[in-house]
Amino acid sequence: GGLRTFFATIVTTGLTEARAKIFGHVLNLTGQRSPHKILRKKLIDDKVAGWYPYDIKKDDPLVMARQEQERLSKLEILKRRGKGPPKKGQGRRAAKRSK
Amino acid sequence: MSTVSEKRNIEDHKRRLLATKFELKRKLYKSLYRDVNLPTEVREKYLCKLARLPRNSSFTRLRNRCIFTGRSRAVYEKFRMSRIVFRSLANQGMLMGVKKASW
Repeated sequence: GGLRTFFATIVTTGLTEARAKIFGHVLNLTGQRSPHKILRKKLIDDKVAGWYPYDIKKDDPLVMARQEQERLSKLEILKRRGKGPPKKGQGRRAAKRSK
Repeated sequence: MSTVSEKRNIEDHKRRLLATKFELKRKLYKSLYRDVNLPTEVREKYLCKLARLPRNSSFTRLRNRCIFTGRSRAVYEKFRMSRIVFRSLANQGMLMGVKKASW
């Protein structure tokens, strides 16, 4: 059985070899650079992708349309007052740079 | 609706999706490049492959931003929000099990 082979490997090659054989460890006796070090880390792609929560307002097109309408009307109000975004090359920074 | 911080959040989200898409390949190529026992041409080939992957698929390009304000600094990973939002929500009692410490 398994226990007999286990003791046999202990006697012949050593305890570490036997342990590695059972558990599937990768031994690196010389300590050289091994690709196993990178491969043994867990994959983190789920956690990484799930950082930003999904906005359920996106599912409802009516709500999105209403929000867009509000944004456009706000912009219109500002434009009427003369406070909308300046034309290209007219802003403060652009004027400073051109001077 | 989309302020400057929102734009950064969207970009960061795009990078995250790319990173998840290419992660496996990236790890594989990197590990093969680092293997000392392979011949040099094979290792070089994998280095080229690694370099050809899109830059935005690297994990080092991601930044944990606050999901409410988009702040890139002082963001706690456990709560996914910046210190300012954390303080305001915790004082309102909206964070479960968080109360002001005094001992």
